Amino acid sequence: MRLELVGKPEGCKLLRMTIDVEPPLVPSSRIRSLSIRGDFFAVPEEAFDELERKLEGTTLEELGKKFDGLIGQNGLECLGITGSGLDEIIQKELHNGI
Amino acid sequence: MAYEFRLLETGFHRAAFNMGLDEALLRSVAEGRSLPTLRFYGWAPPAVSIGYFQGLHEEVDAAACKTAGIDVVRRITGGGAVFHHHEVTYSIVLPLSHPLARPNILDSYRLLLGGIIEGLSILGIEAEFAPINDIIAGGKKISGNAQTRKLGCLLQHGTIILDVDVDRMFTVLKVPQEKTRGKLIEDIKSRVTSIKHCLPQSESMSFETLYATTIQSLKKGFAKALNLALVSSVPTEAELQLAEQLAQEKFSSQTWITLR
Repeated sequence: MRLELVGKPEGCKLLRMTIDVEPPLVPSSRIRSLSIRGDFFAVPEEAFDELERKLEGTTLEELGKKFDGLIGQNGLECLGITGSGLDEIIQKELHNGI
Repeated sequence: MAYEFRLLETGFHRAAFNMGLDEALLRSVAEGRSLPTLRFYGWAPPAVSIGYFQGLHEEVDAAACKTAGIDVVRRITGGGAVFHHHEVTYSIVLPLSHPLARPNILDSYRLLLGGIIEGLSILGIEAEFAPINDIIAGGKKISGNAQTRKLGCLLQHGTIILDVDVDRMFTVLKVPQEKTRGKLIEDIKSRVTSIKHCLPQSESMSFETLYATTIQSLKKGFAKALNLALVSSVPTEAELQLAEQLAQEKFSSQTWITLR
Protein backbone atom coordinates (compact mmCIF):
# COMPACT_ATOMS: atom_id res chain seq x y z
CA MET A 1 0.00 0.00 0.00
CA ARG A 2 1.10 3.54 -0.71
CA LEU A 3 1.15 6.40 1.79
CA GLU A 4 1.27 10.02 0.65
CA LEU A 5 2.27 12.02 3.71
CA VAL A 6 2.93 15.71 4.27
CA GLY A 7 3.74 17.71 7.36
CA LYS A 8 5.77 20.51 8.82
CA PRO A 9 7.07 19.24 12.14
CA GLU A 10 8.65 21.64 14.63
CA GLY A 11 12.14 22.61 13.47
CA CYS A 12 11.62 21.17 9.99
CA LYS A 13 10.75 22.57 6.60
CA LEU A 14 7.67 21.27 4.76
CA LEU A 15 8.28 17.54 4.28
CA ARG A 16 6.50 15.22 1.85
CA MET A 17 6.89 11.47 1.78
CA THR A 18 5.67 8.75 -0.54
CA ILE A 19 6.09 5.38 1.15
CA ASP A 20 5.22 1.95 -0.22
CA VAL A 21 4.73 -0.39 2.73
CA GLU A 22 3.74 -3.99 3.20
CA PRO A 23 0.16 -4.08 4.51
CA PRO A 24 -1.38 -3.91 7.03
CA LEU A 25 -0.57 -0.39 8.16
CA VAL A 26 1.04 -0.95 11.56
CA PRO A 27 4.22 0.42 13.17
CA SER A 28 6.14 -2.72 12.20
CA SER A 29 5.18 -2.49 8.51
CA ARG A 30 8.26 -2.73 6.31
CA ILE A 31 9.05 0.02 3.83
CA ARG A 32 9.39 -1.26 0.28
CA SER A 33 10.38 2.10 -1.17
CA LEU A 34 10.20 5.73 -0.22
CA SER A 35 10.73 9.20 -1.57
CA ILE A 36 11.28 12.20 0.69
CA ARG A 37 10.67 15.61 -0.81
CA GLY A 38 10.51 19.17 0.42
CA ASP A 39 12.33 22.46 0.77
CA PHE A 40 14.94 21.12 3.18
CA PHE A 41 18.70 21.10 2.63
CA ALA A 42 21.02 18.10 2.55
CA VAL A 43 24.64 18.26 1.48
CA PRO A 44 25.92 16.49 -0.51
CA GLU A 45 22.56 16.09 -2.26
CA GLU A 46 23.52 12.82 -3.98
CA ALA A 47 24.31 11.25 -0.59
CA PHE A 48 20.72 11.94 0.43
CA ASP A 49 19.52 10.04 -2.64
CA GLU A 50 21.64 7.11 -1.42
CA LEU A 51 20.24 7.48 2.12
CA GLU A 52 16.71 7.09 0.78
CA ARG A 53 17.64 3.79 -0.82
CA LYS A 54 19.23 2.58 2.44
CA LEU A 55 15.98 3.26 4.30
CA GLU A 56 14.18 0.66 2.18
CA GLY A 57 13.47 -2.45 4.25
CA THR A 58 13.20 -0.45 7.47
CA THR A 59 9.99 -0.56 9.48
CA LEU A 60 7.85 2.55 9.85
CA GLU A 61 8.59 2.72 13.58
CA GLU A 62 12.36 2.59 13.01
CA LEU A 63 12.50 5.09 10.16
CA GLY A 64 13.46 8.19 12.14
CA LYS A 65 16.16 6.47 14.17
CA LYS A 66 17.64 4.82 11.08
CA PHE A 67 17.52 8.17 9.22
CA ASP A 68 19.47 9.94 11.99
CA GLY A 69 21.98 7.09 12.12
CA LEU A 70 22.62 7.21 8.38
CA ILE A 71 23.20 10.95 8.47
CA GLY A 72 25.95 10.37 11.00
CA GLN A 73 27.54 7.63 8.91
CA ASN A 74 27.41 9.31 5.53
CA GLY A 75 28.91 12.66 6.46
CA LEU A 76 25.64 14.16 5.34
CA GLU A 77 24.67 17.53 6.74
CA CYS A 78 20.91 18.15 6.81
CA LEU A 79 19.02 21.30 7.65
CA GLY A 80 15.26 21.46 7.96
CA ILE A 81 14.74 17.70 8.20
CA THR A 82 15.21 15.32 11.13
CA GLY A 83 14.43 11.73 11.98
CA SER A 84 12.06 12.85 14.72
CA GLY A 85 10.28 15.08 12.20
CA LEU A 86 9.76 12.13 9.85
CA ASP A 87 8.56 10.03 12.82
CA GLU A 88 6.06 12.72 13.77
CA ILE A 89 4.49 12.67 10.30
CA ILE A 90 4.37 8.87 10.26
CA GLN A 91 2.92 8.64 13.77
CA LYS A 92 0.14 10.99 12.76
CA GLU A 93 -0.69 8.74 9.80
CA LEU A 94 -0.53 5.60 11.94
CA HIS A 95 -2.79 7.22 14.50
CA ASN A 96 -5.28 8.11 11.77
CA GLY A 97 -4.99 4.77 10.01
CA ILE A 98 -5.33 2.38 12.91
CA MET B 1 44.88 41.79 3.05
CA ALA B 2 41.59 41.56 1.16
CA TYR B 3 40.49 38.34 -0.52
CA GLU B 4 40.62 38.62 -4.30
CA PHE B 5 37.32 37.62 -5.93
CA ARG B 6 36.24 37.75 -9.52
CA LEU B 7 33.10 39.88 -10.05
CA LEU B 8 30.70 38.91 -12.84
CA GLU B 9 27.60 40.81 -13.90
CA THR B 10 26.11 38.51 -16.48
CA GLY B 11 22.78 40.20 -17.18
CA PHE B 12 19.47 38.50 -17.88
CA HIS B 13 19.23 34.95 -19.20
CA ARG B 14 16.97 31.94 -19.44
CA ALA B 15 16.67 29.79 -16.33
CA ALA B 16 18.55 26.79 -17.74
CA PHE B 17 21.51 28.96 -18.74
CA ASN B 18 21.57 30.73 -15.37
CA MET B 19 21.77 27.43 -13.52
CA GLY B 20 24.22 26.08 -16.08
CA LEU B 21 26.53 29.04 -15.57
CA ASP B 22 26.41 28.72 -11.78
CA GLU B 23 27.44 25.07 -12.10
CA ALA B 24 30.10 25.94 -14.70
CA LEU B 25 31.57 28.52 -12.32
CA LEU B 26 31.59 25.93 -9.54
CA ARG B 27 33.52 23.49 -11.73
CA SER B 28 35.91 26.16 -12.96
CA VAL B 29 36.76 27.33 -9.44
CA ALA B 30 37.02 23.70 -8.29
CA GLU B 31 39.58 23.00 -11.00
CA GLY B 32 41.59 26.08 -10.02
CA ARG B 33 41.00 27.71 -13.41
CA SER B 34 39.17 30.72 -11.96
CA LEU B 35 39.32 32.89 -8.87
CA PRO B 36 36.60 32.61 -6.24
CA THR B 37 33.66 34.34 -7.88
CA LEU B 38 30.76 36.62 -7.02
CA ARG B 39 28.13 36.82 -9.76
CA PHE B 40 25.02 39.01 -10.15
CA TYR B 41 22.30 38.14 -12.64
CA GLY B 42 18.66 38.28 -13.62
CA TRP B 43 16.06 36.11 -15.38
CA ALA B 44 14.50 36.64 -18.81
CA PRO B 45 11.86 35.42 -19.19
CA PRO B 46 10.69 35.21 -15.56
CA ALA B 47 11.21 31.74 -14.12
CA VAL B 48 10.34 29.35 -11.34
CA SER B 49 13.19 27.44 -9.77
CA ILE B 50 12.57 24.54 -7.43
CA GLY B 51 14.87 23.06 -4.83
CA TYR B 52 16.77 19.86 -5.58
CA PHE B 53 14.55 17.82 -3.24
CA GLN B 54 11.18 19.22 -4.29
CA GLY B 55 8.62 17.40 -6.39
CA LEU B 56 7.97 19.42 -9.55
CA HIS B 57 4.27 18.75 -9.81
CA GLU B 58 3.69 19.31 -6.10
CA GLU B 59 5.16 22.80 -6.26
CA VAL B 60 4.66 24.15 -9.76
CA ASP B 61 1.79 24.42 -12.24
CA ALA B 62 3.97 23.53 -15.22
CA ALA B 63 1.13 24.01 -17.71
CA ALA B 64 0.45 27.53 -16.41
CA CYS B 65 4.16 28.32 -16.67
CA LYS B 66 4.22 27.15 -20.28
CA THR B 67 1.15 29.22 -21.16
CA ALA B 68 2.62 32.31 -19.49
CA GLY B 69 6.08 31.84 -21.03
CA ILE B 70 7.69 31.29 -17.64
CA ASP B 71 10.75 29.04 -17.48
CA VAL B 72 10.92 26.17 -14.99
CA VAL B 73 14.20 24.79 -13.68
CA ARG B 74 15.43 22.52 -10.90
CA ARG B 75 18.38 23.86 -8.92
CA ILE B 76 21.36 21.83 -7.74
CA THR B 77 20.72 23.34 -4.29
CA GLY B 78 18.00 22.51 -1.80
CA GLY B 79 15.42 24.91 -0.47
CA GLY B 80 12.06 25.99 -1.77
CA ALA B 81 10.37 27.06 -4.99
CA VAL B 82 11.12 30.63 -6.07
CA PHE B 83 9.36 32.82 -8.61
CA HIS B 84 12.18 34.84 -10.20
CA HIS B 85 10.90 38.08 -11.63
CA HIS B 86 11.71 41.46 -10.11
CA GLU B 87 14.83 40.60 -8.18
CA VAL B 88 18.60 40.61 -8.14
CA THR B 89 20.07 37.12 -8.03
CA TYR B 90 23.62 36.44 -6.90
CA SER B 91 25.88 33.44 -6.67
CA ILE B 92 29.13 33.08 -4.81
CA VAL B 93 31.61 30.27 -5.39
CA LEU B 94 34.71 29.57 -3.35
CA PRO B 95 36.88 26.58 -2.47
CA LEU B 96 36.09 24.88 0.83
CA SER B 97 39.72 25.54 1.75
CA HIS B 98 39.09 29.32 1.56
CA PRO B 99 39.03 31.18 4.90
CA LEU B 100 35.50 32.41 4.10
CA ALA B 101 34.15 28.85 3.72
CA ARG B 102 32.97 27.65 7.11
CA PRO B 103 32.69 23.86 7.63
CA ASN B 104 29.19 24.20 9.08
CA ILE B 105 26.48 25.18 6.58
CA LEU B 106 24.57 27.39 8.99
CA ASP B 107 27.78 29.22 9.93
CA SER B 108 28.47 29.67 6.22
CA TYR B 109 25.06 31.20 5.62
CA ARG B 110 25.57 33.55 8.54
CA LEU B 111 28.98 34.70 7.28
CA LEU B 112 28.23 35.01 3.55
CA LEU B 113 24.83 36.63 4.05
CA GLY B 114 26.67 39.35 5.93
CA GLY B 115 27.50 40.71 2.47
CA ILE B 116 23.84 41.08 1.57
CA ILE B 117 22.89 42.51 4.96
CA GLU B 118 25.66 45.09 4.59
CA GLY B 119 24.54 45.87 1.03
CA LEU B 120 20.98 46.41 2.19
CA SER B 121 22.26 48.64 4.97
CA ILE B 122 24.10 50.76 2.39
CA LEU B 123 20.77 51.07 0.56
CA GLY B 124 19.17 52.23 3.80
CA ILE B 125 17.46 48.99 4.83
CA GLU B 126 18.17 47.41 8.20
CA ALA B 127 18.05 43.65 7.80
CA GLU B 128 19.13 40.56 9.68
CA PHE B 129 19.87 36.87 9.18
CA ALA B 130 16.89 34.60 9.83
CA PRO B 131 18.10 30.98 10.02
CA ILE B 132 18.12 28.70 8.17
CA ASN B 133 18.52 30.60 4.91
CA ASP B 134 16.63 33.88 4.86
CA ILE B 135 17.27 37.57 5.43
CA ILE B 136 14.46 39.61 6.93
CA ALA B 137 13.76 43.34 7.04
CA GLY B 138 11.11 44.63 9.41
CA GLY B 139 10.34 41.03 10.29
CA LYS B 140 9.58 40.08 6.68
CA LYS B 141 11.61 38.04 4.19
CA ILE B 142 13.56 40.13 1.68
CA SER B 143 16.10 37.51 0.58
CA GLY B 144 16.09 33.72 0.24
CA ASN B 145 19.25 31.69 -0.24
CA ALA B 146 20.49 28.17 -0.89
CA GLN B 147 23.89 26.54 -0.56
CA THR B 148 25.59 23.38 -1.68
CA ARG B 149 29.08 21.91 -1.57
CA LYS B 150 30.48 19.95 -4.47
CA LEU B 151 33.93 19.16 -5.92
CA GLY B 152 35.62 20.76 -2.91
CA CYS B 153 33.80 24.05 -3.44
CA LEU B 154 30.92 25.93 -1.88
CA LEU B 155 28.20 27.44 -4.08
CA GLN B 156 25.63 29.73 -2.56
CA HIS B 157 23.02 31.51 -4.59
CA GLY B 158 20.00 33.55 -3.67
CA THR B 159 17.65 36.37 -4.42
CA ILE B 160 17.18 39.91 -3.21
CA ILE B 161 13.56 40.85 -3.83
CA LEU B 162 13.15 44.19 -5.59
CA ASP B 163 9.39 44.04 -6.01
CA VAL B 164 6.88 41.30 -5.38
CA ASP B 165 3.66 40.32 -7.13
CA VAL B 166 2.25 37.57 -4.94
CA ASP B 167 -0.93 37.23 -7.00
CA ARG B 168 1.09 36.49 -10.15
CA MET B 169 3.43 34.24 -8.21
CA PHE B 170 0.53 31.96 -7.28
CA THR B 171 -0.67 31.65 -10.84
CA VAL B 172 2.35 29.35 -11.31
CA LEU B 173 3.15 28.01 -7.84
CA LYS B 174 0.87 25.36 -6.35
CA VAL B 175 -1.09 26.09 -3.22
CA PRO B 176 -0.71 23.46 -0.45
CA GLN B 177 -3.88 21.39 -0.07
CA GLU B 178 -4.50 22.55 3.46
CA LYS B 179 -4.64 26.22 2.45
CA THR B 180 -6.97 28.20 0.25
CA ARG B 181 -5.40 30.37 -2.43
CA GLY B 182 -6.72 33.59 -0.88
CA LYS B 183 -5.50 32.68 2.59
CA LEU B 184 -2.07 31.70 1.26
CA ILE B 185 -1.71 34.91 -0.74
CA GLU B 186 -2.62 37.00 2.31
CA ASP B 187 -0.20 34.94 4.40
CA ILE B 188 2.68 35.44 1.95
CA LYS B 189 1.93 39.16 1.61
CA SER B 190 2.22 39.48 5.38
CA ARG B 191 5.56 37.63 5.48
CA VAL B 192 7.42 38.90 2.38
CA THR B 193 8.72 42.36 1.63
CA SER B 194 10.84 44.00 -1.07
CA ILE B 195 13.33 46.77 -1.56
CA LYS B 196 10.62 48.80 -3.25
CA HIS B 197 8.41 48.45 -0.20
CA CYS B 198 11.21 49.23 2.27
CA LEU B 199 12.48 52.27 0.35
CA PRO B 200 9.62 54.60 -0.53
CA GLN B 201 12.01 56.73 -2.64
CA SER B 202 12.50 53.74 -4.95
CA GLU B 203 8.80 53.78 -5.92
CA SER B 204 9.53 56.16 -8.79
CA MET B 205 12.57 54.22 -10.01
CA SER B 206 12.40 52.09 -13.13
CA PHE B 207 13.15 48.40 -12.64
CA GLU B 208 16.46 48.86 -14.50
CA THR B 209 17.57 51.67 -12.20
CA LEU B 210 16.54 49.79 -9.06
CA TYR B 211 18.32 46.65 -10.30
CA ALA B 212 21.54 48.56 -11.02
CA THR B 213 21.38 50.55 -7.77
CA THR B 214 20.87 47.40 -5.73
CA ILE B 215 23.80 45.63 -7.38
CA GLN B 216 26.06 48.62 -6.69
CA SER B 217 25.14 48.47 -3.01
CA LEU B 218 25.54 44.71 -2.85
CA LYS B 219 29.01 44.91 -4.38
CA LYS B 220 30.03 47.38 -1.68
CA GLY B 221 28.30 45.28 0.95
CA PHE B 222 30.08 42.05 0.00
CA ALA B 223 33.42 43.86 -0.29
CA LYS B 224 33.05 45.42 3.15
CA ALA B 225 31.50 42.55 5.10
CA LEU B 226 33.70 39.80 3.64
CA ASN B 227 36.82 41.90 3.02
CA LEU B 228 36.78 41.22 -0.73
CA ALA B 229 38.83 42.88 -3.44
CA LEU B 230 36.42 42.52 -6.37
CA VAL B 231 37.96 42.26 -9.83
CA SER B 232 35.41 42.97 -12.59
CA SER B 233 35.55 40.33 -15.28
CA VAL B 234 33.51 38.21 -17.66
CA PRO B 235 33.03 34.44 -17.75
CA THR B 236 35.71 32.61 -19.70
CA GLU B 237 34.87 31.02 -23.05
CA ALA B 238 35.22 27.60 -21.44
CA GLU B 239 32.74 28.57 -18.70
CA LEU B 240 30.24 29.90 -21.24
CA GLN B 241 30.55 26.78 -23.38
CA LEU B 242 30.05 24.53 -20.37
CA ALA B 243 27.11 26.66 -19.21
CA GLU B 244 25.43 26.25 -22.61
CA GLN B 245 26.10 22.53 -22.57
CA LEU B 246 24.70 22.13 -19.06
CA ALA B 247 21.71 24.31 -19.97
CA GLN B 248 20.85 22.08 -22.92
CA GLU B 249 21.79 18.66 -21.64
CA LYS B 250 20.97 18.94 -17.94
CA PHE B 251 18.87 21.88 -16.84
CA SER B 252 16.48 21.80 -19.83
CA SER B 253 16.04 18.04 -19.74
CA GLN B 254 12.77 16.57 -18.46
CA THR B 255 14.80 13.90 -16.67
CA TRP B 256 16.39 16.58 -14.50
CA ILE B 257 13.34 18.84 -14.15
CA THR B 258 11.11 15.95 -13.07
CA LEU B 259 13.79 14.22 -11.00
CA ARG B 260 11.41 14.17 -8.01
